[in-house]
Amino acid sequence: MKYFVTVGERRCEVTVDGDRVMIDGREVTARLEPVDGTPQVRLHLDGAVHALAVEGRGDDGWRLVDRGAVRDVQAIDERTHHIRSLAGAARGAERGGVVKAPMPGLVVRVLVAEGDRVRPGQGLVVLEAMKMENELKAPAEGVVSRIAASQGQAVDKGAVLITIDGDRE
Amino acid sequence: MIRRVLIANRGEIALRIVRACRDEGVASLAVYSDADRDAPFVRMADAAVRIGAAPPGESYLRIDALIAAAREHGADAVHPGYGFLAERAAFARAVEEAGLTWIGPPSAAIEAMGDKTSARRLMEAAGVPIVPGGVAALTDPAEAAALADTLGYPVLVKAAAGGGGKGMRVVREPGELEGALTTAASEALKAFGDGAVYLEKFIEQPRHVEIQVLADSERTIHVGERECSGQRRHQKLVEEAPSVAVDPALRERMGEAAVAAARAVDYRGAGTCEFLLAADGSFYFLEMNTRIQVEHPVTEEVYGVDLVREQLRIAAGKGMSLDADALAPRGWAIECRITSEDPGNGLLPSAGRIAWLKAPSGPGVRWDAGIEAGSEVTLFYDSMLAKLIATGPTRAIAIETMRRALDELVIVGVATNVPFHRALFADPAFCRGDIDIQFLDRRADLLAPAADDATVARLAITAALLEDDRRRTRRIVVEPGNGVDASRWREAARVDARR
Repeated sequence: MKYFVTVGERRCEVTVDGDRVMIDGREVTARLEPVDGTPQVRLHLDGAVHALAVEGRGDDGWRLVDRGAVRDVQAIDERTHHIRSLAGAARGAERGGVVKAPMPGLVVRVLVAEGDRVRPGQGLVVLEAMKMENELKAPAEGVVSRIAASQGQAVDKGAVLITIDGDRE
Repeated sequence: MIRRVLIANRGEIALRIVRACRDEGVASLAVYSDADRDAPFVRMADAAVRIGAAPPGESYLRIDALIAAAREHGADAVHPGYGFLAERAAFARAVEEAGLTWIGPPSAAIEAMGDKTSARRLMEAAGVPIVPGGVAALTDPAEAAALADTLGYPVLVKAAAGGGGKGMRVVREPGELEGALTTAASEALKAFGDGAVYLEKFIEQPRHVEIQVLADSERTIHVGERECSGQRRHQKLVEEAPSVAVDPALRERMGEAAVAAARAVDYRGAGTCEFLLAADGSFYFLEMNTRIQVEHPVTEEVYGVDLVREQLRIAAGKGMSLDADALAPRGWAIECRITSEDPGNGLLPSAGRIAWLKAPSGPGVRWDAGIEAGSEVTLFYDSMLAKLIATGPTRAIAIETMRRALDELVIVGVATNVPFHRALFADPAFCRGDIDIQFLDRRADLLAPAADDATVARLAITAALLEDDRRRTRRIVVEPGNGVDASRWREAARVDARR
């Protein structure tokens, strides 16, 4: 079975056939072994052993802990990938977007108003968590169409705070 | 005599104090907020009492509740740890007035060092070197030029009302001075509504070197230096003892200055004088921290002392157990602050339950942690989870030991800054000791290291194999460990598998 894998910005194709694994056209020997009673796994890769941990599975992939770093790795099988690429092509390129709270916290300041035009990287909301103030920035250019955050409000992780509409001209 | 110590703190330092009390044969009384009910320090103390709700203002910062808890549960002394109320003179005074023993300096010493401007004057009078310059506002360019000549270039123009770099200018040549004064004054006027500026000597790429001080009723001594140049936005991340930039002669000079600073305020207990150290060996007093420091373990490792036990001894009137003449650093110790700051998310704090934890061990490794498997990391408190300390006969060996310890450390459940520490301990400049206080601000590449090709391949293959196993067997490779709550992600996987 072939998988389309995304690690951060990097994409690769991995084909799994028992212990024989092809990664971007290169053949390797790879096997995964659980460490019972722990979230750790041993990856046997071309004779070397690597210890990783599996934090869990999300919507589209796996959250892995590797050498101290938490990495979300998306792994999609060929068929699902094909269906998605058709759907994606139909939707076309998007601008604008939503800004969500990256962590639970307290809204200290809202820096924009509805109707404001914002540039990518422009500060929108200041969120306080763990005694630190963090400025959330616009992911893309557009017009602020909705503000769902007010000063002094406590918000949960993932709460949509600001919606930005992309240009439709 | 001290019989029972109330610990007005939480996390790793509360546990550190519990351990020192146990070693010293004194009972410990922990206080905890609702968020810390199941924390290791609560279980390991001899007794524990709830102090309030999770927000610090409703628990760890409540002076009245802390004093009441001490009275009600028979504590006769209070250890404030660091942070929270540790440098609040009002708390020290409340403890003193309640007839309890304050494990720290007298409230008057906290007060004297707490006001930075008056502390500066006090230090100047005591002969402690401070950054040369005037605190008086400058209006006449000729007067400013004369002062700059006396100080020697480069000089720094600073806003009197300043902060955050606004109204601040480095001037390297006399010709640039007048222009810099004008722009700094107008910037300061805009930012603070006050255009007053003053001049001080600009210290190029200084190191942050601090001196540990101990004082009892008879003696005031220093226990060498710690270098804390490894900081980001004034937050220390890596500390070591000794410092590559300090030789025995400089250590004595800095030590004498720190002892003079402590004597000037009638200091008692453990304290730390922070200095800027310039490349030419000149050093300047910044401030005195009137409490135990986060990074105290590196001093303990190279001097073979227990600073928290010494705090208990001094407060109990037993006097310190150290022989100042026999104190010399032996080997090298480095500390990494392990925080729940996520390098994959702009170093913002992450929260969650620690699903799995494997702490490093072996020769030369010390792990001072406030967490264990199952601990909930919340956003109410500081993001520091643990301190990892590596010790060796030389700095190079301590670095090797730290690399091994970082390799062994596994934390599953919250993202941490471990990738940063791994990158730092692989960096040639850091390993040479070639650092100053701006080092980490210049090296953003270390803070959020990108995945290299081998890492991407390892992750991609692992994810593909996990996905393949899940699809073929409808079985999860990984079971939750040791009855520990599965994370949200793993729960999702299990639900998914049952479909």
